[in-house]
Amino acid sequence: MVLKILQKIRESVERRPREIDVAKKDGQKVLGWIGYTIPEEIIHALGIIPVRLGRGGDDRLVEIGSRYISTQNCVFVRASAGLLAENKDPYVQKSDAVAFDTTCMQVYRLGEITKYYFKKKTFFLGIPRNFQTPHAREYFTKEVEGFTRRLEEFSGETISSDALAASIGLYNNIREAIRTLYAHAAHDSLPVITWREVYEVVHAGYHLDRQEYLTFLQDLVREVRETHGSAVDEKPPKDVRILLSGSVIAPGDTKLIEIITRLKGNIVADDLWSGLDPYLQGEVREPTLKGIADAYMDRVLPPAIPCLDQSTDTRLDNLKRGINESSADGVIYHSLRYCDSVTFKGLEIKEFLRHEKIPLLEIHTEYAQSDVEAIRTRSEAFIEMVKFRKQTGGRI
Amino acid sequence: MGKINGQGVYAGVDIGSLTTKSVIMDTGRVIGSSILLTGVHPEKSGTDAIRKALDSIDRDQTDLRYTLATGYGRISAGYADDTATEITCHAKGVHYLTPSARTIIDIGGQDCKVIRLDESGNVTDFIMNDKCAAGTGRFLEVIASVFKVGLDDLGPMAMGGKESVPISSTCTVFAESEVISLLARGEKPENILRGIHNAISNRVAGMAIRVGVEKDIFFSGGVAKNAGMKAALEDAFHEPVVIPAFDPQLVGALGAAVLAGNLGSEA
Repeated sequence: MVLKILQKIRESVERRPREIDVAKKDGQKVLGWIGYTIPEEIIHALGIIPVRLGRGGDDRLVEIGSRYISTQNCVFVRASAGLLAENKDPYVQKSDAVAFDTTCMQVYRLGEITKYYFKKKTFFLGIPRNFQTPHAREYFTKEVEGFTRRLEEFSGETISSDALAASIGLYNNIREAIRTLYAHAAHDSLPVITWREVYEVVHAGYHLDRQEYLTFLQDLVREVRETHGSAVDEKPPKDVRILLSGSVIAPGDTKLIEIITRLKGNIVADDLWSGLDPYLQGEVREPTLKGIADAYMDRVLPPAIPCLDQSTDTRLDNLKRGINESSADGVIYHSLRYCDSVTFKGLEIKEFLRHEKIPLLEIHTEYAQSDVEAIRTRSEAFIEMVKFRKQTGGRI
Repeated sequence: MGKINGQGVYAGVDIGSLTTKSVIMDTGRVIGSSILLTGVHPEKSGTDAIRKALDSIDRDQTDLRYTLATGYGRISAGYADDTATEITCHAKGVHYLTPSARTIIDIGGQDCKVIRLDESGNVTDFIMNDKCAAGTGRFLEVIASVFKVGLDDLGPMAMGGKESVPISSTCTVFAESEVISLLARGEKPENILRGIHNAISNRVAGMAIRVGVEKDIFFSGGVAKNAGMKAALEDAFHEPVVIPAFDPQLVGALGAAVLAGNLGSEA
């Protein structure tokens, strides 16, 4: 049974391109963005429509993107280059400019390509490499201020304290609602909303009007809580509970998720930058640009950031917390071809989890369908292994 | 040998990319087997292999209590009572043959895997090669065709090499052209083949780092029939590698039959 609000979200996603057309006719500008650390609060406070761009799973787009960058660049970046080159995606078409941050240097280079080849107006936001030092915070605060000034010129508006405070409040509430939905998917023995549905809702938020999106999220949380009581009588699933980690799994990239689901693996959580991670922390406590900069520096680091002071690297602890909170039986570590930062981290994470007695399966893939059978065999063997261990004494 | 629960006759069938194998067991003992080339219809290959194995011992399908299919063709095995991955089946087969085995190197027609198992024959970790045919049976077939010798001749020739010529790639296409260049340069075929075997074994050893290696190391799959590869693996792992008297190409099918016995006795 599909949740009523989920159905409404799907209908709203269908309508959204037409709504943006109307808004543009009324003079609103649209800023597409690709990356991890773009503070949407600022875009929204300036009356600009933010849309997060990027699609996965389409090898045709990879092929198009490969005409502009090396075939040995990250497959998601190549697909995104293809998306921008083709200019058929409604959100790419409607974007008056595209913003990129330097969290992932391949994404930053994509910004350069976008400016050079596709003649799109571009904005860049510099990201420090060592989030916890005072210098890094000072640098990032200045970057956020500069980014804001450039967007003010772009929109013809000056950001007001009231608009910024309202926008910050809106995004704090969005983060809280998404965390709540994730918790329901991960904690309930028979969840009313599944991880895959929550993931779909997160991706819907890339495009929907953010105020409407928050209303949907809060209504969805309410519906999940109200529906939960009628479902608890059924037996809880005995499936293998899986946490997905690794490279971005962008909208449209369903290959691995479908393989795991068909094998009756139960994905219950993720620590993906296209999933829960941007919503975990990042509560903006001070309604200023500095407050935004500080909050974004406090978020979980994505794999692309080389954390130079390793004592401040919380990624492994974050993964462990996600595993414990979701009672995951194992981790499937998804690395996209030439997503080097994720590939490099694979063995370190596997060793870390080995000590925690949590099994990890590495899946190295791309958007072509030629490896479906190979991934299926690996995933099935992993599920067989974990299931047997679960039956005979818990975690490995 | 390990014990299995099954009372009665059970079949395991391993439908691989190049060959299909079947093993028939009766009350925990192997009583029949077959190996044939996989055709274009994996389902037919599976049923043919089982029939051939049964024919070899004057039995027929009605004698079978439970059948379990593995290998890439398992998804087309509607005739089987159950399926399991080749990783699980190799672990079961190896444990049946050598209960002390803790690491399995399996090199088949188109893939290569390292499997870790515990004292009960359960998989604790595994890794498979990437999707290309580098360092697999198919790779060796291509190399054999370059030297215009049979697959069975490769191992003895490699063991006759006094030196190992470094081979920079285990990519089937690149290695083929590299070997042709080395022959043109006047390198001895035996030395080149020793280098080829070392390149494959070093690649397997590199994979094994991700899952760890513990004795005893067991070598299965069709390529385990190649004595030169066994020697190269022992060099790379600095440990003896076990190949049982039982046909190593049948280990996956054997594990499928062992599992069939266990599951069939529960059914």
